[in-house]
Amino acid sequence: MEKDARPSWDNPTQFVLACVSYAVGLGNVWRFPYLCQSHGGGGFLIPYLLMLVLEGVPLFYLELAIGQKMRSGSIRAWSNISPYLGGLGLASVVTSLYLCLYYNIINAWSFWYLFHSFQSVLPWSVCPINSNRTGPIEECEKASSTQYFFYRETLNISPTIEENGGIHMGQALCFVLAWLITYLFVVRGVKSTGKVVYFTATFPYVVLVIYLIRGITLHGAANGIKYMFTPKMEELANISTWINAATQIFFSLGLGFGSLVAFASYNQYNNNFERQAIIVSFINSGTSIFASIVTFAIYGFKATVNYENCLERTRVLLMNTFDLAEDSISMDNVFDWIEKLNATHPLQFAQIADKYDDCNLESELDTAVEGTGLAFIVYSEAIKNMPLSQLWSVLYFIMLLLLGMGSMLGNVTAIITPLRDFKMLSHMSNELFNGLVCLFCMLLGLGFTTPPGNYWFTMFNDYGATFSLLFIVLIEVITVSYIYGIRRFEKDIEDMIGHRPNWYWKTMWVVVSPVLLIALFIFYIINYTMGGTPTYQAWDKEL
Amino acid sequence: MLEKIILLLCCSCAVAQHLCTPDASDGYKVRLSIKTALEGQAYEWNENEMFLFRATLAFAMRNHIREQKFEVSNIIVCNETPRVSFWFVVTSPESTSVLIGKEDVEEAVRKSRNRINSAFLLTDKTLEFIGILPTLAAPVDPDTPPWLIVFGVVMGIVGAGIILLLVSSVVQKKRKNEMTDDEENCEETRVKTVENGSVGEGVYNMSFSDDERFTQM
Repeated sequence: MEKDARPSWDNPTQFVLACVSYAVGLGNVWRFPYLCQSHGGGGFLIPYLLMLVLEGVPLFYLELAIGQKMRSGSIRAWSNISPYLGGLGLASVVTSLYLCLYYNIINAWSFWYLFHSFQSVLPWSVCPINSNRTGPIEECEKASSTQYFFYRETLNISPTIEENGGIHMGQALCFVLAWLITYLFVVRGVKSTGKVVYFTATFPYVVLVIYLIRGITLHGAANGIKYMFTPKMEELANISTWINAATQIFFSLGLGFGSLVAFASYNQYNNNFERQAIIVSFINSGTSIFASIVTFAIYGFKATVNYENCLERTRVLLMNTFDLAEDSISMDNVFDWIEKLNATHPLQFAQIADKYDDCNLESELDTAVEGTGLAFIVYSEAIKNMPLSQLWSVLYFIMLLLLGMGSMLGNVTAIITPLRDFKMLSHMSNELFNGLVCLFCMLLGLGFTTPPGNYWFTMFNDYGATFSLLFIVLIEVITVSYIYGIRRFEKDIEDMIGHRPNWYWKTMWVVVSPVLLIALFIFYIINYTMGGTPTYQAWDKEL
Repeated sequence: MLEKIILLLCCSCAVAQHLCTPDASDGYKVRLSIKTALEGQAYEWNENEMFLFRATLAFAMRNHIREQKFEVSNIIVCNETPRVSFWFVVTSPESTSVLIGKEDVEEAVRKSRNRINSAFLLTDKTLEFIGILPTLAAPVDPDTPPWLIVFGVVMGIVGAGIILLLVSSVVQKKRKNEMTDDEENCEETRVKTVENGSVGEGVYNMSFSDDERFTQM
C-alpha cells in the first residue's frame, strides 16, 4: 500500500540554516571568548583554526554523509552499517535526552531576564532596599547588584546541593514557556522547523552586528579589544591550549548528538553536502571569533567603568577623611595624592587603609568569566551602564534566546527522528508524538527550577555529555573508516554527490581524527581520575 | 553697666564655643559636596550660606520641639574645613549652656530633611549629616509585577499559535480523509482504464520508490 514519503526540507537553504542555527549556540558566545582570553588572546586562533581543519570539518562531513545516505535517524542509520552498532545510535539519543532536559533552563533564564527588561529601572542595576529602609539588603551589598539578582531573585539558590525547596514559580513559568515555544517550532517536524530556522539562524547576526557597532563606540572598549588580541605566543607551548582548542571545536559543532544525522536524513539524496559542511563549519567558527570581539569590547567597557568608579570612590574617601576642598583631587592625580597623604599623615592613612581598595585596570580585565556567569552577570552589568539600557538588554536577551532555541531545535529533532523510525511509534501523529516528548522533558526538567537547581545544572553541563560524546564520535569515525570500509563509503558519497572525496578527507577520517579523538579521550580520563572528588562553587547567603 | 554686658556676651561666646567641639557628644558633623552636586552652577560657600544653614536648622528644631522658639544663635558651628564640612551643636533657647540631646537633633533633622536639602539645592547624598542615615524612598510596589504582563502577552501568542497549528492539522487530516475516499472511488475506474491499454494518467506506485533502493541488512 502507500507508504508516506519521508518529509524533507523545502530547499537546501533551510537545511544549511538549520545546521547553522543548531551549531551556533550559546557556547560560541560564552565559552570561546573565555578560552581566547585564558590561552593567549590572538594566538589562540592558531590551534583553533588548525583543529577546525583537522577534526571539525571532516567529522561534520562524516555525520552529514551518514544521515543523508541512510535517510533515517541515528539508531537505524548506525544499525544499517552494522547490526551491532544499534547501541551507538541509542547512545546519541540518550545524550540528546540529557541535553534536552537541562538546556531549556538557560532559555528560561533568558526569558526571565528579557521580561524583566521592560522596566524603567533595570532590576539588576540597583540593590533593593531592606525592610528598615535604612540601606540596601546586606547580601546584595556584599556581592554586586547583578550577582544578587541572578543568584537570589532569579535562582533563589540554596547554600548546598542537598538543601531542597519548592519550585521557583517565576522560573517554572518561564521554563514552561520555553518548552511551549520549542514544541511550536517542532510540532510539524521538518516542515515547521524549516520555516523557523530562517529567523533563528539570521537574527542573532543582526543583533551581533548592532552590538558590535555599539560595543566599539563604548568608552573604554579599545582596552578590552587590545587586551584580547595581543597574542601571548608562549601559551602555544602549553598542551592544555591545544586540548581546549580541540574540545571547543568538537563541542561547538554539536557532533555526536545525532542532530546532524537527523537533519541530513531529511535531505534530497543528491544534495551536495560537502560544500554545505565546509560552509557551516566555517560560519560556526567565524561566529565565535566575531562574538568574542563583541564580548571583549563589552569587557573593556565594563572594566573601564569599574576602574573609574573605583578611582572615584577613592577620591571621595580621601577628600572626606582629610577634609580637602572638592576640586583639589581629580581622577588623574588620585594616585599622586595617595602617596603625598601617606607620607604626610601616615597614622590617619593607616586608619582608612582597609576601606581603600586598589584600583587596577589590568586586574579588572583579567577577571575572565565563562558560562552562565558571563552571559547573565557580566553582560548585564555592562548593559546597565549603557545609555538606553532597556533597549540593549531586550536585544541581548532576544539574541541569547534565539541562539538557545536554535540549538534546542536540533536537540529535540535528534530525539524525535530516530524514535519515529520505530514502526510502533510511526503510527502516532506527528503532533502527538512531538508533544509527548516535549512534555516528558519538561516535567523532568522542572527539577532545575528548584533552589539547588543551578548546582544540578552545573553538574549536567560539565559532566552530562562531554565524555560520552567523545566516545560516540570516536566509535563513529572508526566504524566508518575501518568496519564499513573507507572504499564503500567513498562509493556511497560518489553516488550521492557525483564525485569521490579527495585525499584530504580520507586522510582525516582514517588517520588524523581518530588519533586526535583518542588523545582527547585519554586526556579526559587522566584529568578525571587525577582530579579527585569533583567540587562545585556554592553561593552561601550567610557569608 | 556696659562693661558687664560686654563681659557677659564675651563669656557666653566663649562658653558657646566651648560647647562646640569636634566629636562632641551632642554634636553632628555635616558635609556638603556642592561642586559634585551642581558642577557648573555651584555656589561659593561663605558666611551667608552658613547663616542660611543655621537658620534652616533652627527652623527644623522649631518644627520638632514646638514649645521652644529656637533662634539662629542657638545653632553653634565650629571646625569649618575647605572640604565644606563642620560640626554643629544646638543649645536650648532657655539657657545657652545646655545642649539639646543627640536624639532630638537627629529626629528634627530627619523630619525636615527634605526642606533642609532643598534650601541648598542638594540631596541626601550631597548634604550629609554623619550619623543620621537618610530614610530611603519606599520601593514602588505595583500590583502586578511588570514582567508578568509581558510574560502573559508572549504566552498568549505562543498558545494561540499552537492551537492554530493543531486545529489546522486536524482540519487538513479530515479533508485528506474525504479526498482519499473520493480517490478510492476514482481508482477503481482508473484501473480499468489502464487494463484497457490506454496510458492516460497513472497512479504513482510507491512500492518502487527510491527510499528502498538499499535492502535493509
